[in-house]
Amino acid sequence: MTKRDLLPGLLDMLVLKTLSAQTMHGYGIAQHLQRLSKDVISVEEGSLYPALQRMRQKGWVKAEWGMTPNNQRARYYTITTAGRKQLGEQEDGYAELMAGVRRIMKPA
Amino acid sequence: MSKHKSKDVLRGATRTQSGIARDIDEELSFHLDMRTRELVHEGMDEQAARTRAQKEFGDVDFTRRYCASMDAQTERRERSATVIAEFLHDVRYAFRTLRRSKGFAAVSLFTLALAIGANTALFSVARAVLFKPLPYGNPERVVQLQDHPVGDATETYSLAPANFVDIRQQQVSFADLAAFSGFTPTLQREGADPEIIRGAQVTPDIFRTLAVPAQHGRTFSASDTTSATAKQTILSHALWERVFGSDATIVGRSITLDGERYTVAGIMPPHFALGIDDQLWVPYRVSEPLADMVRARRQHYLRVVGRLKAGVTLEQARTEIATVSQRLAAQYPEANAGTLTTVRSMRDVLSGAYSKPLLLLQCAAFAVLLIACANLANLTLSRSVARSREMAVRAALGAGRFRLIRQLTTESLVLSIAGGATGALLAGVLMRRLLAINPEALKTMYNAGLDAWVFTFSLVISVATGLLFGLAPAIGASRTNLSDALKQGGRGSSGGRSRDVASRVLVVTQTALAVTLLVTAGLLMRSFGALTNTSLGYSTDHILTAQLQTTGARYDSASAVNQFYSSVLEQIAATPGVTAVGGATVLPTRGRLSTKLRVVGEPTDESNLPDLGYQAVRGDYFKALQIPVVQGRLYDATDDTSPEEAVIINETAARRFFPRNDAIGRQIRIGPDQNSPPLRIIGVVGDTRDQSVDMPAKPTMFASHTRETWDPTLNVVIRTTGNPESVASAVRAAVRQHDATLAVRDIRSFEDVIGASLAPRRFALGLAGTFATVAILLAAIGIYGVLAYSVSVRTRDFGVRMALGASSRTVLAMVLKDGLLWSSIGLVLGLGVAMGLGRLLSGMLYGVGAHDPLTYVVVALGQLAVVVAACTLPALRATRVDPLTSMRAD
Repeated sequence: MTKRDLLPGLLDMLVLKTLSAQTMHGYGIAQHLQRLSKDVISVEEGSLYPALQRMRQKGWVKAEWGMTPNNQRARYYTITTAGRKQLGEQEDGYAELMAGVRRIMKPA
Repeated sequence: MSKHKSKDVLRGATRTQSGIARDIDEELSFHLDMRTRELVHEGMDEQAARTRAQKEFGDVDFTRRYCASMDAQTERRERSATVIAEFLHDVRYAFRTLRRSKGFAAVSLFTLALAIGANTALFSVARAVLFKPLPYGNPERVVQLQDHPVGDATETYSLAPANFVDIRQQQVSFADLAAFSGFTPTLQREGADPEIIRGAQVTPDIFRTLAVPAQHGRTFSASDTTSATAKQTILSHALWERVFGSDATIVGRSITLDGERYTVAGIMPPHFALGIDDQLWVPYRVSEPLADMVRARRQHYLRVVGRLKAGVTLEQARTEIATVSQRLAAQYPEANAGTLTTVRSMRDVLSGAYSKPLLLLQCAAFAVLLIACANLANLTLSRSVARSREMAVRAALGAGRFRLIRQLTTESLVLSIAGGATGALLAGVLMRRLLAINPEALKTMYNAGLDAWVFTFSLVISVATGLLFGLAPAIGASRTNLSDALKQGGRGSSGGRSRDVASRVLVVTQTALAVTLLVTAGLLMRSFGALTNTSLGYSTDHILTAQLQTTGARYDSASAVNQFYSSVLEQIAATPGVTAVGGATVLPTRGRLSTKLRVVGEPTDESNLPDLGYQAVRGDYFKALQIPVVQGRLYDATDDTSPEEAVIINETAARRFFPRNDAIGRQIRIGPDQNSPPLRIIGVVGDTRDQSVDMPAKPTMFASHTRETWDPTLNVVIRTTGNPESVASAVRAAVRQHDATLAVRDIRSFEDVIGASLAPRRFALGLAGTFATVAILLAAIGIYGVLAYSVSVRTRDFGVRMALGASSRTVLAMVLKDGLLWSSIGLVLGLGVAMGLGRLLSGMLYGVGAHDPLTYVVVALGQLAVVVAACTLPALRATRVDPLTSMRAD
């Protein structure tokens, strides 16, 4: 199965969705996305961190240094209220998009 | 991991650029390490795993750089958002705290409003007077030329026309030189009372010299001086508004001045004046008086203004003019020897006299502000001690020391800015009241208002004040030790020692400043008292004065003038309630004309003739003012027509010029011409202070106005039995009856005239007195505050003492001693400073030395009384402490 590239804006949504369940560090987010998408989506890890910085600037996530279970220093990201709101909006938008695509692909 | 919002607000940690870079590096390395480890776990060898991880990652360098710059940006935004959030938080907190201690807030606000208000008001006035923009183009280049006796640069007077012409010809420093002199015509209109207008005759180029064009019409040109038939005039904006209703069509039409038609050539823009309250201008031909060789160089009546050439400094111009004037003195020794011409900036001429008093007053206001700051610092200190527990807890919760200081300083700033705003509003009210005391002399101050500059000043002062009294206590309060504070139960004595010393020092400073102000006010008050008690040589009550002027072709002959005045004076004399009527060309304190004296029969030095004050009097002038006759007699009907003209001199003149006491019968000559007909002295009258109330009499002569009618102005002086104002209408009626085209001006009681001359002193005294009162009140409040606090801290101490048998009197004495000790140190300090500043004040004093012992003693006693009063309440409270409850209290 070839890994498909992400649609723009999708990465943000996926990251927010991931964080909405749990605070994670950058590597954890990457792993989570990989696992759940069953290697379908290729997230160039290099683009993950810039995305996180952008979201941090927009106020959707917060970053704080913490300790991993292995006592290593890592930066943990938490979703904010604004981020949750954004996620909700984005989810709705995405759902609408998928519904539209479905209608075109499968004419009723 | 949730974070407390408040803790974020208190934290102030920031990262540097390298710190940000390190963070990014660490984060990315962590990611790569984790991936490498995972791959190794899956079976790869380390090296291959690492390479694979990096490849999967993508462009690490690009990511690193991008993230670093984004992170820095985010950091910056967060920081500024935090600062604003923190600041708003501080402000809200400050309001909450202040609302809790309403007493403190009220006292502080009141104190600050008063102190800052006073400073703002004075600044506004000083700005209007000293820095007011002059109504000329490029005003800093405009100067005035003045003559003065060699060696005495303070006694300045006008220039003589021939000298002006010569100087103008020979100088190189000025782009333009123009001259003007007074001109007070009577404006006659249909259907309105005639009115005397103060104006000026000007050389036509004066408007170019001052670089001000007309607003309507035009300014003068050289041809305006040549045509004798078509006379031109230019009106001031204010006159145009008031009398002609801003009617633009007046330009080109003619008006009647002194019975002659003048065509209005133009209207000047608002606020333009030559500095003598002039309302209209007519052209002046400077070559006219030159025909009279005697007058040309010896009669000084021209005021000269000039504009410096580009690149020429005031100093250079002054040097050049001095050289020219010395050359003229050598050329015309009888006329010019002993006189020097100097150059002064226009601003200096117009407002120089006020700079010292205003500066003094501003210092006084500033001293009051310092006292207020000391008060508030003390109060803040006391409060901070009570809040040390609160501070310690906040510090333990993570607030950095800087944060705490910022918080406490914000409280002080909130107070000071609120106080400043109130004060600025107060300043407006204060200024109006101050100006009401002295309307005439300080007319320019009417422009003093609350504008942008004044508000900025007020704001800056408020912030500075807040920092001054808030910062030090804040720094002290932030130095808390949590365990200490909690242990002492809120009354932490950690740093208590230094706090005590600090508040004592503040009390000493306050008291010293207040005492200095009190001494100043006291000296000024005694000066004023001495002045008003001075024997002036004339009486001031029950006298009405009015100014008349005989102008126009009708009064070209002496007989016409005499006819008019004697009829008018006769009619006024017949009015019921009038006991004496007379007239003089100049009223006491309203100026001084002088001429040169030669005593017949004594050798004269033509280059150094003595000055003699000149006045012409008519009717019962001396009787109306109750000036006594010391020798000889006053004028009677025979003097009107006697072949030899008679003259009266005052005591000082008699003493100085006739030391053998033989003045009566001797002859004198006056004026520039040494061959003028002599005058015979027929009487000597008592000395009068006619130049100003604080200057002793100078030699003066009183000519008979009947013989000397060349000055068309006469000030009528009327002595009444009742209220002088009651005869005002009679005066107007008399004038109207004998000539309806003539105006009466300035009808007011003589007391008002004298009062006006004293007004500047009264003004300064009023202000100084106000400041001194406020200062001592504030100092008293300060002492009270410190003592009250100290008593409350030592309540337990007093309780123990009294339980152990100390009488209430002992406790009372303890408290009183404490208060008196420190304020006495302040008293001594203040008296010392006042003595040191004595020289600065001496110029403004009269009749009392700057080190007058009586004043110092009274101030010392007064201050002690105030301190004792301030100490009483806390002392009494100390005695009323119940030993048992005090020991139980926390």
